[in-house]
Amino acid sequence: MTQSPARTRPARSVLAGIAAFGALGAYVLVSSVGLGLWTSLGPGPGLFPFAMGAVLASMSVLWLLQELRRPSAAGDKADGGLVLAVVVSLVLLAALLDLLGFQLSMFLFLMYHLKIRGKRGWLSALLTALAGSVGAFYAFNYGLNVALPVSSIPVLNLIGL
Amino acid sequence: MDTLNELLNGFAAALTWQNLIFAFLGCLLGTVIGVLPGIGPVAGVALLIPLTLNMDPTGSIIMLCAIFYGTAYGGTITSVLLNTPGEAASAITTIDGHAMTKMGKAGAALTIAAIGSFVGGTIATLGLVAAAKPLGELGLLVGPPEFFALMVVGISLLVALAGKSMVKALISGALGLLISMVGIDPVAGAPRFTFGMDRLLDGVSFVAVIVGVFGLSEILSYRKGESTVVHAPGLRSLLPTGKEWRRSAPSMARGTGIGFGLGLIPGMTGSVASLLSYGAEKKFSRHRNELGKGAVEGVAGPETANNAHANAALIPLFTLGIPASPTIAVLMGAFLQQGLTPGPTLFTEHSEIAWAIIASLFIGNLLLVLLNVPLVGLWTSILRVPAPILTALILLFMVIGAYTINFSVFDVFVMIGFGLLGLALRHLEIPLAPMVLTLVLGPLMERSLRESLEISQGDFSIFLNRPISLVLIILGVLIICSPLLKLRKPKALMDDPET
Repeated sequence: MTQSPARTRPARSVLAGIAAFGALGAYVLVSSVGLGLWTSLGPGPGLFPFAMGAVLASMSVLWLLQELRRPSAAGDKADGGLVLAVVVSLVLLAALLDLLGFQLSMFLFLMYHLKIRGKRGWLSALLTALAGSVGAFYAFNYGLNVALPVSSIPVLNLIGL
Repeated sequence: MDTLNELLNGFAAALTWQNLIFAFLGCLLGTVIGVLPGIGPVAGVALLIPLTLNMDPTGSIIMLCAIFYGTAYGGTITSVLLNTPGEAASAITTIDGHAMTKMGKAGAALTIAAIGSFVGGTIATLGLVAAAKPLGELGLLVGPPEFFALMVVGISLLVALAGKSMVKALISGALGLLISMVGIDPVAGAPRFTFGMDRLLDGVSFVAVIVGVFGLSEILSYRKGESTVVHAPGLRSLLPTGKEWRRSAPSMARGTGIGFGLGLIPGMTGSVASLLSYGAEKKFSRHRNELGKGAVEGVAGPETANNAHANAALIPLFTLGIPASPTIAVLMGAFLQQGLTPGPTLFTEHSEIAWAIIASLFIGNLLLVLLNVPLVGLWTSILRVPAPILTALILLFMVIGAYTINFSVFDVFVMIGFGLLGLALRHLEIPLAPMVLTLVLGPLMERSLRESLEISQGDFSIFLNRPISLVLIILGVLIICSPLLKLRKPKALMDDPET
């Protein structure tokens, strides 16, 4: 395995991470003051978040100083295509779950991952997608008494989807 | 005698057919989770919590506990047969376990691992039986200041031991505490960090957060690997020789001691137990020069240690309400979801449930041996399922798991958001374990801090005026300051993926 050369400047993604945590810490500090640090009854709802905001902000500063002194190597980069495919398909699934119902939306989601991304054969993809959508719906609804959503479109609802 | 009676009553409750089925299913699911690379015990237990929500509390916790220790054994199968640990605590077993497979002794390695797991798990559970009453009674004497200080120590240990950088571990811990504060403030009733969204008034679902941070982010960071061919050993080759039994016994004894001791200390994960056990074998085994070349001690010691650890780690949870590891923190979340508060009051308010769960640990450990050794062929066949099908099915369970917590699509979006956050945290090498622990402990910690300050009318010296609390606070400060004091972190923890 080849060793990557030591960095002379902090990685951009690391700096962005530090900035995000620092900003979050600062936001929590300010908003917890607004919540009230102390009331006549004792500690207010903002006291604990204030302490955590302070930890987050101060640790971000410390991390920045550490990075400026000795930049660390950023972690492995994720496969952008995979992240995009999984996240977008999950967002679409979540958005369509109540509209199309669990069975149809999950069937489409599984077909996308099995047939288009996974390049499985039609039969294997169809059987797995049906088991994961219709099969899971009936197993959860009737086997475990856990209600999965049905379609809010009357036509689809009428045919049991 | 009281303890024995209560344990016997616990056995009567655990041996009902429903609870036996739950323990059986838990062992099965736990083994599957352990076998599957990429989905560790933390995400696995969190993912399956929604399935147990409609069950009665006893059955639900029995099943989740069985899943928890089932994962410890499942990870061994892939370590031995494939040289790929299904979960972190079995990583060290790959060295001698896989070497034994190459020598045609895979069956013996798996049987020794199963028996070692049974021995370690059973002895640790006996420890839980012995410690439950006295520690529980001691726990009842603990007031809010001591409880707060105890949680400070627990979190400090995990923060100090997690990952390579304490700064990053503290960020992770603070992040978990902040997430736990979203929603209505428990004392004043004011909404906090809800951004005007009604759905956030009840807080963020911890299952959605954990499944996102641990499970989804793992899939998002997945890289294409080589396909592997798995050959399960035949039934005839499962029996170790007399010599292998004799060589394993001292290693199992050492592994039990190490796993049990480390299970009691918050922050020490199963991986540390198995690594230290391997270290002990290197030092004390009569056949230490064979380690690394397929020595049975290299399987017996670590596998016993990680199961002893898994069961012993339940002692601080049951008696003091302190989760010792991220998976136990998730288990604690499941207790809370079922309306059970782990800790000393568990034995006074829900004594029957507590003893039924403890009794089920003995049964579950036995079930694991009976199930896993003869069915090793079935477990390995899971690994022949093509990756796209496995990924799609895991995503399916994640969506169902997140949705069914509140029957709301909102939680699916929360899971997706936290999956991306988990991916970013992995990229930045921020450890995830402190976040899980503080996420579960956050509300309890805040409540005990505020109760303490109400008792003292706002005087922070209450934490220093009470001896137990003072000692614990000093301990917590020493742990956090350990880098300044140049205290060495155990080497085993530096690259522990569990932390």
